[in-house]
Amino acid sequence: MPDPVETSKIQTSEPEPAAPEKLGTQENRKWPVLAEFTPEALAKMEKVLPSKLNRIVQTSLAGCIHCGMCTEACHYTQSIPEDKTLVPAYKADRFRKWYKYRYDWMAKAFPSFVGAKPLSKDLADEMYDKLWGGCTMCRRCTFNCPMGVDYGMMVRAARGIMCEAGRVPQNLQDTVDAHYNHGNNMAVPQDEFIETIEWIEEELQSEEGCEHFTIPLDKKGAQYLLTLNPREPKYYPMTIQSTAKVLNAAGVSFTISSRYWDMTNYAMFNGMDGDAKLFAKWLFDEVDRLGCEYLMSGECGHGYRGIRWEMSNWLGGVPFKITSSMELFADLIQTNRLKLDKSVHDNKIFTYHDSCNIARSGGVLEEPRVVIRAAVNNFVEMPHNREQSYCCGGGGGALAMPEFAKRRIASGKIKADEIKATGANVVLQSCHNCTDMLKEICEHYGIHAKVMNLAELLDPALVLTD
Amino acid sequence: MENKVSYALYVLQEPVQYIALTFMALMYAIKIYQLMKKPGPPEKAELKGDRYAGALHSLANVLRPWGMESTRSHPYFYVEFLIFHIAVALTIGSTFFIPLTPWLMTPLVSKVIMVFMGLAFLIGLRRIYRRITVPEIRIISSPDDFFAITLMTVFFAVGFVTMWLWIQGKPETGWMWLFFLMVTFFLIYVPFSKISHYVLYPFGRVMYGQVFGGRGILNRNAR
Ligand code: SF4
Ligand code: SF4
Repeated sequence: MPDPVETSKIQTSEPEPAAPEKLGTQENRKWPVLAEFTPEALAKMEKVLPSKLNRIVQTSLAGCIHCGMCTEACHYTQSIPEDKTLVPAYKADRFRKWYKYRYDWMAKAFPSFVGAKPLSKDLADEMYDKLWGGCTMCRRCTFNCPMGVDYGMMVRAARGIMCEAGRVPQNLQDTVDAHYNHGNNMAVPQDEFIETIEWIEEELQSEEGCEHFTIPLDKKGAQYLLTLNPREPKYYPMTIQSTAKVLNAAGVSFTISSRYWDMTNYAMFNGMDGDAKLFAKWLFDEVDRLGCEYLMSGECGHGYRGIRWEMSNWLGGVPFKITSSMELFADLIQTNRLKLDKSVHDNKIFTYHDSCNIARSGGVLEEPRVVIRAAVNNFVEMPHNREQSYCCGGGGGALAMPEFAKRRIASGKIKADEIKATGANVVLQSCHNCTDMLKEICEHYGIHAKVMNLAELLDPALVLTD
Repeated sequence: MENKVSYALYVLQEPVQYIALTFMALMYAIKIYQLMKKPGPPEKAELKGDRYAGALHSLANVLRPWGMESTRSHPYFYVEFLIFHIAVALTIGSTFFIPLTPWLMTPLVSKVIMVFMGLAFLIGLRRIYRRITVPEIRIISSPDDFFAITLMTVFFAVGFVTMWLWIQGKPETGWMWLFFLMVTFFLIYVPFSKISHYVLYPFGRVMYGQVFGGRGILNRNAR
């Protein structure tokens, strides 16, 4: 497959308000998605497998000793204990059996002795079920594995192989294709995006004390280039408004690109490296075009990880700094650039859900707590927090796979139990997939709690001074 | 202690072991070469932690039962694991000490090794039982898993008796023959079995430590 980064002609001129430019790739694509594994798809998978075996993936495939220490780490196993096929090692073995059949020395002579199996439609179907619909790549098991088996990398490799062969959940692939074709994963047209931001800016300016606050688009030389999750302009404009309010209140120089502003990267979930790299490259080019010092992710779990940690690996390094609004908020608080009145939140009890990609895979562990402790008096940690937090069940692109929705909701039970244990009536988090999942599980498991992000927490507590 | 044995047992205890050991080393070298050919975990992003400290921290994980929830909440597993692997190390050691430095194998040293072998035998039995009876373990077990743990358990039993006879001053017994025949089999078989996990172990732990140490997740207190 040609490298999409090379083939896409990224336009670099300033946007013309009257004629929105064609963002995304020049030629639209619809990835061919198969309803089932065909002999050709299996042959394609056989062909792709070697290219996905980097050192971590190979060690993770070859190194599992079936000790079962990871079993209790997984939110699927905890929430759905009756289904033993959701045990991490069992799920990974659907891939491992095939790997062993190809590469394990003993399997060459005695395949069934080591549990190896040739790739068949049945085995591929199991891979599909367990590795798309039974693992959110949250890596909680990895942190509990004595061998250091990296489920995030291993499952992503398996997904990438299946995706290359055309077996990928349709809705997830549509999300990636929308990003590929339009420059953001909800295909928000440029003019609509600009209008939305302008409208949010007006709303912001109508708030008391915010008359001079702005949400600058394409402001060259701004210090921070703020990126967004497309769900924000589409469904949650208030989160943009709150973020902008906090940044304005602290006098932060920031801007949003009118072109490539989508921080999400669903190619992290379908395992397609070329697409992941392309989406990262678009953001890279925007930082370059606008001459910003920082690329900043908003509150989005995988988006943060993609930008903060993976982008540099995909692109071979970046010449600018990368941060997130969570980290910036904490810094603004610690340097006294934000004044907060905690009493506005005194009638509520807060807890915080650590998104797996922000905490366990991203290293943002204390910053959200700095923000929360500065803004509220009643904060209760969940029994498992920071890098030990359970996945809410909405990670790994799970929300984009409606065919597995029932299992996804069931898998959220352990998180629901932990939220209940805190007695909180507000669940804070910093991720849009987590937002949706937490809302769903709160409703499903009868928890009367509001779900909000850190910007929404800070917004009402801000004490605005001249 | 002295190791006065027949020429035949000498051949088994020394030249045969060296050949088998060389074979094992060669197999491992190939395994490691195949792994090292693959691209390692890159980290071109600005680090928040320390990849080297992370790797060391991760390698030392084995000495920190409180480090992982899986061992923290099951200290019994950890103790089992520790005894079992110490027994493995001592048993491997004894296969060198008996023929090469028999004077090191004093009754006290031999008794210590014997105790570990005996405990490891019991742990082996429990692990076989667990593999058979715990559904989530049974479902992930292959014949190789059963064979490996059974073999080790039998090996510890044989080693226990051998060591007991050795303490009685009997260096050449049928048990000693069986013990060294099993060692030979191990040296040839292990590179093809799951028992060779210890070759991958440092790679897995170091890469884990590099990734999550570099991202500032591991070893936070030290920083
Ligand atoms: S990565 Fe997360 S969801 Fe997947 S098996 Fe491990 S703990 Fe379970
Ligand atoms: S803890 Fe690690 S080695 Fe043990 S079964 Fe799970 S993945 Fe395999």
